[in-house]
Order: sequence, then structure tokens, then C-alpha cells
Amino acid sequence: MATPVSVLRLPKGPDPNSRGFDPKSPRFIALCRTSIATSASSETNAEQLPIEQHARSVLRETFLRCLLSMTNKKVQFLMHERVKVEATFGASDIDVLNFQVSDLHTPIGVQKEALIRCQDVISFTCDS
Amino acid sequence: MAMRQTPLTCSGHTRPVVDLAFSGITPYGYFLISACKDGKPMMRHGDTGDWIGTFLGHKGAVWGATLNTDATKAATAAADFTAKVWDAVSGDEVLTLAHKHIVKTVNFTKDSTCLLTGGNDKLLRLYDLINPEAAPQEIAGHTSAIKKALWCNNDKQILSAADDKTIRLWDRSSMEEVKQLKFDTAVSSMEYLADGEILVITYGKTIGFYNALSLDLIKTVDAPAPINSASLHPDKDFFVAGGEDFKLYKFDYGTKEELESYKGHFGPVHCVRFSPDGELYASGSEDGTLRLWQTAVGKTYGLWKCVLPEELGLENSEPLYTTPPEIKA
Repeated sequence: MATPVSVLRLPKGPDPNSRGFDPKSPRFIALCRTSIATSASSETNAEQLPIEQHARSVLRETFLRCLLSMTNKKVQFLMHERVKVEATFGASDIDVLNFQVSDLHTPIGVQKEALIRCQDVISFTCDS
Repeated sequence: MAMRQTPLTCSGHTRPVVDLAFSGITPYGYFLISACKDGKPMMRHGDTGDWIGTFLGHKGAVWGATLNTDATKAATAAADFTAKVWDAVSGDEVLTLAHKHIVKTVNFTKDSTCLLTGGNDKLLRLYDLINPEAAPQEIAGHTSAIKKALWCNNDKQILSAADDKTIRLWDRSSMEEVKQLKFDTAVSSMEYLADGEILVITYGKTIGFYNALSLDLIKTVDAPAPINSASLHPDKDFFVAGGEDFKLYKFDYGTKEELESYKGHFGPVHCVRFSPDGELYASGSEDGTLRLWQTAVGKTYGLWKCVLPEELGLENSEPLYTTPPEIKA
């Protein structure tokens, strides 16, 4: 009598609540488009792509150097709901989701240490 | 000790599964797409059958589905007179290509820049995916509905099978017919292996193997029942076939000997394909399920685990999965 091959589990079935394509899967994170679509997604011009990639790298590097140069300097943040605050810049987290600042001047007082949520920030300026 | 094949059943579809396709091997593994009469094609991990997502948008039965080589794009052909191109990572619909009748078959070129479609309007269409607004190139010639169309010969030629009982080879640049094969009965399926330029065709109870460039016959093998689909292993040592008697058959390609037959499906088998690494084959059936079958029965791969005889009797060994778990109501 032949023994049936053992199986670790059954294949996972569809989720009744969603259409799937988990945004947390490694493949999604690696391959999915950024918020600003590149020309690659519509494949308009294969020659333009290296030029566009170079421009993106330059912009990214400039942004990161800007963040570095702001350390311990006074920065003014313009935020949603007509909020304008000033603080001493500390650091950014790796995904640029939060800025760590000190001496945040707010209409209701000065916060010694604070985290500013980046998605609330419209712009920030600093005297270099 | 002989091992008995344990097929893995992938549920989720609610109506017959009429087509399935594997992607190539990508850095994230390989993937499977299934076309179903319920209008909701699904994408799964190829080695486990785990569901990844469902492409929502078609308003009719989906007759054909395919993935590009790196599984970043999917294309589907449906009874709602459209073919759709999808982003296979996010599941979003990217393009809807309107046709004048039911679309039955879709196929990407290797570089994913061109999509071939065919259907009941008897025309082959070539869509430039870089300029999708441009009108497609059309190839006329078939006198009945096209069932399957494939790129071949490094995307320089096209093979099409139709209900007019012919298989035709077309040149992409001239758009002209190069060769034709005539049959006494309708061709039920066609598979193309680029490596070796082999065409696998099924008609009646026969599985025919042809040279894809010359359309010369290599050999034919007859099965015990009418066959709807067959697939040749990448190493060209075995082929599998399934059809109207609900069984999967495994044959030796060299000797044409029937090696095994497997029961499992509760309805006719409509499609069967080997995975790109040849370790398993997937079948789609009228019963609404996909089943994954091992090529080497008993080998540890995907969800299958090889258990040595010594381990079977041990009290301390982990209980291995054999019966379906109770699902709480």
C-alpha cells in the first residue's frame, strides 16, 4: 500500500475581504512604483530613462545633503492648518517620516524636544 | 517504498478554470495565473499555490490569461470583448483593449512590448504596449474563431490555432501566412517550447509534437480519453495530459509509454502546464479548482515534504499535515 506524500499545509486561499497584492510583500516593496511615476512605467522613451534616473539621483542627494546641513540650525516649518513654527533641527528618520527637533516654538509654549510628522509639513526653510 | 501523489488543491474560483500560465523564474520565485469563467483571474505563487491576488475588472468569463516573463505584467482575454493588461505587482488594471467579439487568447513578447490577441472575430491583433493608443496591427486569414495564439521563433513569428481546424504560422514583419497545418478535428490546445522549438498540440485523443519552425511532425501519442491540454517537461523527458475523463496522464516522451495516471479532479481537465523549473505541473478543471502535482513524487519541494521511513513511526516527530483542518463556522 503506497503512502501518500506528506504536505506541510494546504495552499492559502483568497482573502474574502480584499483583492490581495499585499503592499507589505517584499516583491511589492521592491517593484512598485514610487509616488512620482517614472517614464519607465509608460515606457515612452528608453533613452530618456538614464537621464531621468540621473536627475532623480541628483535631486535625492541634494535633499539628503540639505538635511545634513540643517543639523543644529534654526529651521522654520510651514505646515498644514496655517501652522508656522520654528525649532532647532536635530535629525530625520530613515524614511523621512519624522523630524526630531529641539526648542520647538509653538503658540502655546516652547517644547524642549519634539517629533514633527513630515506628512504635515508643507515646506521648511533654514538660513545656511 | 512507493509514494502516492498528493495533489495540492487551490480553491477560490467559483466556476470552471479554462486557462492557466506560469511566469518565468524571477528573483521572487515564479508565479501562476488562472483564467476562470467567473471573470476573476487569480495570481498565485507557482511553487506553493498560495493566492497572491485577484484581478478585478472584467465583466464576463475570462478565457485566456498570461504573465510576462518577469511576472510584472499580466494580460487577460474575456467574453466582455476586451483584453486587459494588468500590473501584476499591484493588481491594478493598466490597459483595456476593446475588441469586436469575445477575446480568447493573449500572449506577451519576451520584452513585453507587444501583446498578441485572438478571439471570435477571427483576427489576430498585435498591440504596441509602448504606444497603446495606436491602432493594433491586424492579421486576417482564419475562417473561424481563434482559440490560441502564441509568439514563436524569438518573437519573429506567430502561431495560431482556430476552430477552422488549422494551425497557422505567420511572419510578424510581413504579416503573411508562412505555413498551415490542417486537422480532421478541432485543435483543443497548443503549447510552445522556445528551447528546442517544439510545438505541443492536442486534438481528439492525440497529443502531437511538431517542430515549431517548419511545422514538421515529430511524433504523436494517443491517450485513453479525449485530451484538452498537454504540456511537455522543460527537459523533454516527460509530458502530461488531461481531458474529458478528469484524469491527469504522465507519459515518457521518448518511449511514448503511459507511466502514470492520477485521479483528483471532479470535472474535465481544461488546461495543464509544467512549471518553469519542471518540478511540478498545474491543472485547471471544470470543477473550479487548480491542482498542483509533483513531477518527482515524494520529493521535498514547495509544500510537499519527503518523510523518511524511520521518521514515520517516531512518537516525538511533529504531526505532519494529512487531513484538512476544521473551519469554525
